[in-house]
Amino acid sequence: MNMASSELRSRQRRLEPVESVPPTATVRHVDQLDTETLDYFYDAVENGRALPADGATNLEVGEIIVFNGYVRVERA
Amino acid sequence: MTHYVIIGDGISGSSAAETLREEDPEANITVITDEGEPLYNRILIKEHAKGKLPEAPISIHDEGWYEERDIELSLNTHVTSIDTDERIVHTHERDDLEYDKLLVATGGTPTQLPVENSDADGIHHFWTFQDARGIKEHAEQSDRGVIVGAGLLGIDFAAVCGAQGIEADYLMRGDRWWRYALSNEGAEIMHEGMREVGVEPVFDSGVDRFEVDDDGHVVGAVDPNGERYDCDFAGVAIGLSFNTEFLRGAGLEEDNGLVVDEYMQTNVDDVYAAGDITRFYDVLLGEQAQNGSWGSAKEQGRIAAVNMAADDEAEEFEWVSSYSITHFDFPFLSFGHPTLGDEHAERKYSDTEWRRVAFKDGKIVGGVLIGDLSPQSKFKQLMREQREVADQAEVLLNKQVDLDDLE
Repeated sequence: MNMASSELRSRQRRLEPVESVPPTATVRHVDQLDTETLDYFYDAVENGRALPADGATNLEVGEIIVFNGYVRVERA
Repeated sequence: MTHYVIIGDGISGSSAAETLREEDPEANITVITDEGEPLYNRILIKEHAKGKLPEAPISIHDEGWYEERDIELSLNTHVTSIDTDERIVHTHERDDLEYDKLLVATGGTPTQLPVENSDADGIHHFWTFQDARGIKEHAEQSDRGVIVGAGLLGIDFAAVCGAQGIEADYLMRGDRWWRYALSNEGAEIMHEGMREVGVEPVFDSGVDRFEVDDDGHVVGAVDPNGERYDCDFAGVAIGLSFNTEFLRGAGLEEDNGLVVDEYMQTNVDDVYAAGDITRFYDVLLGEQAQNGSWGSAKEQGRIAAVNMAADDEAEEFEWVSSYSITHFDFPFLSFGHPTLGDEHAERKYSDTEWRRVAFKDGKIVGGVLIGDLSPQSKFKQLMREQREVADQAEVLLNKQVDLDDLE
């Protein structure tokens, strides 16, 4: 793996299911995602793909998205 | 200095306040709300009622947010009337407020069932954060439920019952849930989702009256067929009534909501409206429409504010809305206006996958996706481009939609 691909991967995001939500969490409903972000999000949920790096979506590391389950955005 | 008054601190009113401050840094901005707390996330309160989400993440703004932006927030304040000739807002709790430009963003309140005992203890309507707190508290102590209202709001009660361990009967007037947008095949997927969480759909039913005990607490519902359903918890979601009583005499055109154009202007000078309360001109649909989604309300507030600050028709509202149901194991997304249009195409793909696309004049105006959301952005793109594709419905119903296959 070269430096560039390593850096890109470190900026990618993944989704991690969560069972409970702490009071300090930032939480959004899936209907608050824009159309393009919803596409990426849905692809990540359904197919396990990583989310693209910062800027391509409006998802923030650490926030929880309410979909059919609750998932947290994590660094890949 | 211009004084903007915004009535309502939901997402449309709050979005307008934020945009007005950005567009007009020197202006006076006042936000009035009859609720006792600043903006919260209305689409997450159902998660709180289900017992899955604590209160704190649902709040969006605290009072400091308004102070930082030099926006005056007036909580627990009821507007009694508006004088659009003198440009004055009358309230119950404070002095009259003069305005230069006014935004009405008061949304709606749940409609009560016009039946006996519909205001009994234990019968809930679901709209505010305070409603959600009450529903959660009562649901945690309840065993048997009845739900009324076979639409997008009623199904939230089904989810609350499911999550809180309440066995419930969902009494529907017709032969399926959301019959205006779903055929039997699509609706049956939703019915199965309800059954899996312990909620039994009952068709060709409804509520003729509620029964109460000596303390006035609901103990049962009787449907028009005479069937009785035990319950110690009831949820009613048969629609919204729009909060326009205080506008009586103000000269604003109403048609089951406040009529606005694509710039969010009412028919009265310098009075705008945004959010659920509007019957707005939808430029993609080509006619007046209503929409209760979060994104639509937020964008309407922004558009209203841009045009208020510009004192001009600077930007029109053009939006494709989304509304998801996230209560079951499968995804559900309604977009645009799936109940409108002059024709539709639909297909069932499996026991958990179904799709409908609605057309008007050959163009997509809305749809429903159950089980597979992958084509959502393509359908929304076609809506925004206003392409005539109804004669190529087969392409749109392919499991994998490829827009390059369209002629």
